[in-house]
Formats: sequence, C-alpha cells, structure tokens
Amino acid sequence: MPMNYSIEAENLNLWYGDFQALIDVNVKIPHGQITSLIGPSGCGKSTLLRCFNRVNERYGNVTTEGKIEVLGKNIYDTDVSLPELRKAVGMVFQRPNPLPISVYENVLFGLRIHSPMRSITRAEADEIVEEALTSVFLWTDLKDKLKTRATSLQLEQQQKLCIARLLPLKPKIILMDEPCSALDAKGTRAVEELMEVLAGTYTFIIVTHNMAQARRVSKECIFMFLGELIEHRETQVLFTDPKHEKTSDYVHMRYG
Amino acid sequence: MICAERIQTFVLQRITFILLGIAGIPVWNVLQKADAADTEAASAVTPLNTLSPLLDDLYILLLISLFAILLGIVCAFYLQEWLPQTNWTRRFIESVVAVFDGIPSICYGILATGIFFSYAGTLKTLGGVHVPQRTEDGSTLVPSVFEHDTVVFYIVVLTFILMVMPVTIKTTQTALGSVATPIREAAYALGASHWQVLRRQVIPLVFTRILAGGCRAMSGALATVALIIGIYTWQYTTDPGNMPNRFVLFFGSALFLSIFSSILIKLYASASANPTHPTR
Repeated sequence: MPMNYSIEAENLNLWYGDFQALIDVNVKIPHGQITSLIGPSGCGKSTLLRCFNRVNERYGNVTTEGKIEVLGKNIYDTDVSLPELRKAVGMVFQRPNPLPISVYENVLFGLRIHSPMRSITRAEADEIVEEALTSVFLWTDLKDKLKTRATSLQLEQQQKLCIARLLPLKPKIILMDEPCSALDAKGTRAVEELMEVLAGTYTFIIVTHNMAQARRVSKECIFMFLGELIEHRETQVLFTDPKHEKTSDYVHMRYG
Repeated sequence: MICAERIQTFVLQRITFILLGIAGIPVWNVLQKADAADTEAASAVTPLNTLSPLLDDLYILLLISLFAILLGIVCAFYLQEWLPQTNWTRRFIESVVAVFDGIPSICYGILATGIFFSYAGTLKTLGGVHVPQRTEDGSTLVPSVFEHDTVVFYIVVLTFILMVMPVTIKTTQTALGSVATPIREAAYALGASHWQVLRRQVIPLVFTRILAGGCRAMSGALATVALIIGIYTWQYTTDPGNMPNRFVLFFGSALFLSIFSSILIKLYASASANPTHPTR
C-alpha cells in the first residue's frame, strides 16, 4: 500500500560542497498525521525537511543523491515541476515571514502565482480569505484588519497567517521548521492546537528542538544524529523505551 | 497606523510639489530676463520659442540618461539575481563599478573637459563630428546651438553615461541585496518562480530606492554637465549667447533632481515603515 505514506525517502545523501549533511537516510512518513524530527543542532533535520520540497537547492553548491517519493512520485525526476511540488508541499519557517503586503493579499499570494492573471473574482477571493483565516482561528481577530500590513501583526498571528496562506493552495503536506521557536508559551500552544485540528486533513512534518513539544503533538518521531537517521518510531515508544543508546541519551537530555 | 502612513505620504507629496515649484521659479525668471536683455533678438525670439530648444536639449539628455539608467538597472539585476557571487565576471564588474562610483564628480568634469576636448580635433578628422567655429555674424539668432553632431554633444553624452551607470548599478544592487531573505524564501516556498518573486515582492519593495538612486545619479551628472557647458564650451558652439541659460537650466534640473531623490529616500524610509524587515 504505497499511498499510506506521504513521503518515502530511499538512500538519500546530500552534500553542501564537500560536507555531507545527510547520510543514507531511509524514511517513510505516514499520511495524515504529525511526525516530528528531533536531534541536536546541525544533525540535518532542517536539511532533510528542506529536501521534501526542494527549497534547499536555491543555495547552490548542493548535491543530492537518492530518491524521495512524495505522494508516489519521485521529486528528483526531470519532469517534476517545482511550482507544482511546492504547491503540494507547503512550508512554514522558523521566524514568521509574512510578506510585507496586506493580510488579505498574503492569503491570496500563493493562489495568485499559481493561477492566470485576474482569474480570481472579488467574491471568490473574499470567500477564500475568510475560509483560510477561519480554519486557523484568525478570522474573528482579523476580519476588520484585512487591509493592514501583515508584518504589523503579533508574532503568533503572523505565524498562523503563514499557515493560513498555504491552505488556499490545498497542499497535502505541510513542513514546519521549528514553527514555535519565535513564539511565547501562549503562541506555541495556539499553533500546536491548530496543528492538531488540521492534522487529519494534512500531513505535518515538524522540526523541533523542544522535546516536550514533540511529545505533545506528534504521533511518530524521528531522531537524527550527525546526518544519519538513528531511530524512527512512535513518539511514546521512542521517549519511554528508546532502542538506540544515542536516542536514549538525547531524550533524557544527557546532551543537547 | 495605515492612516498615519497615508498622511505622511500625502504631506511628503505636497512638500515635493512645493519644492518643485520653488525650484522652477528662478529658472523661469532667468530665462525670461535673458531674453529681454537680448535686444537684437528681442523682436524675433519670445521666451517660449527660446525655452523650447533649450528644453529640447534637456529632453535629449534626459532620454539618454534614462536609457543609461535602465541599462544600469538591468545590469544590476543580472549581476545580483542571476550570477552567483563567485562568478569572476560579476566580481570584475563590481570592482570596476566600485572604483567609478567612488570617484567624485569633479573628476568626471575634469576628465570630460581635459581628455575629451583634447581629442576633439582627432574626432573631427575622423569625420564623425564637426567642430563649429565661433562666428561674429548674426548666426547667434538661431537658438539651437547644441547641435547633435557637435563635439560638445558627444562629450556630454559620454560623461553622462559614465557617471550615471556606476551609481545606478551600485544603488540597485544594494537595494536588491537589502531585501530580507525570509521574504524571498516565503515566496519560493509557495511555489513562485524566480521572476514572480522579483516582480511581485522584490521590485515593489526596492522600486523607490532604485528610483532615488537613478535621480541621484542623474543629478550629479547634470551638475557636472552644467559646469562643462558653463565653463568650457563657449568656443565650440555657434551660439555662446545662450550658454548662461543652458547652464542655469541644467543646474536647476540637477538641484531639483537632487532634492527629489532625497525626498524619495525620505518617503521610502518613513512611509513604508521598514518593509524589508518582515518582523520588525
């Protein structure tokens, strides 16, 4: 049953110049749930995450080997269109990065770049914005502020807006690179609740340094160390009964 | 907040118009006085038809510099957005631009008058341009002195291009570099192509700065050209009588453009409230 997995990576190797950042990574990420990636800094979590929608290729000097199947299609095939891939695999960054335009246009930005000019009517646009903001619980707060510049919102609202702006594109997978590290406890909680609500519809992959968070939100957990994937199991099992010594050291915080 | 921004923009726009008007008055006055004093020509030349050939010169120069500025902007976009930082062409061009950008404009003036004029005779023998001789007869009545195949014209054009291009390239590159990476990353991660990122996010953000840079470059070049015209070109034109007018006109335009560019920068700084930094 290949479609039970959203993402399947096989023998994935990645180099930044001479430095090998990912070593023989094999991973299968199940559909429709939250998977977290944990590990010490510089272990390749973010790199692996960025492979899934190929944004890391922009930095140049990156060599990738192996195969990643997203929704049953190898994304390193020559016939893959990057805009289409990134449409299906959305990404939320560490620091909230709303575009410096209005809230309304932020939500519509993705849709506008993927559809021909003036193909979205005003009524449709209003509806899409309302729907997207409602599903991230921002509509009541922002319905009177749709024309404000998105960068003037609170950080928590900005991060939610970054999630909301993916939704009109109807992605299958949402990648999150430490989405809560710039937020306070309240904001973190709001984003986590949001992820739990949306998890049935979308596959979430979240990179986090916060092990409590990984434990709270994710169903499966992947531990990485120095570019290698050490352990991939259900979160509860990984935290209570880690198989590998390195995992056990890390989850019991013997090093950080 | 949006309201405050709008008011600021509005006020700055009004100030621009007022300054524009103020800058225009002395130019206009001098032009009129010059014509009134020219007793010989008074009957034949009204202020209006003296002004128009003068403006003609300015327009031609503005067109040329607009072309140079556009070329500079295209060049800067290519260097900054398409060539990798390690590319040797980029490094070479950037260092040349840095050198030219650092030279004060007085040196360009000296270069133009000194080097170019000393080759005027050579240019003449090559047949490309003609060097008009100073005449004592009534040819001064014809206001179109700045003929487009004279040495002066070519020198002015070359100076212009040499002065405008490096400044434009430098400012455009700095402006493009100042757009925060998260903005680009956000757009790329939503599936935008390179061109879409530029057109929808980067260019709207940097447009004012590029415009201001272009204006600044042009104002410097105009001032230098005004000095060249005011000091050195008498002997190379058929109508030295109109030179003060031209000098004032060019200098006035330079002043205006310089004021305009600083207002643009001010406008960019205040009205857009640090748009290149997404989270403040």
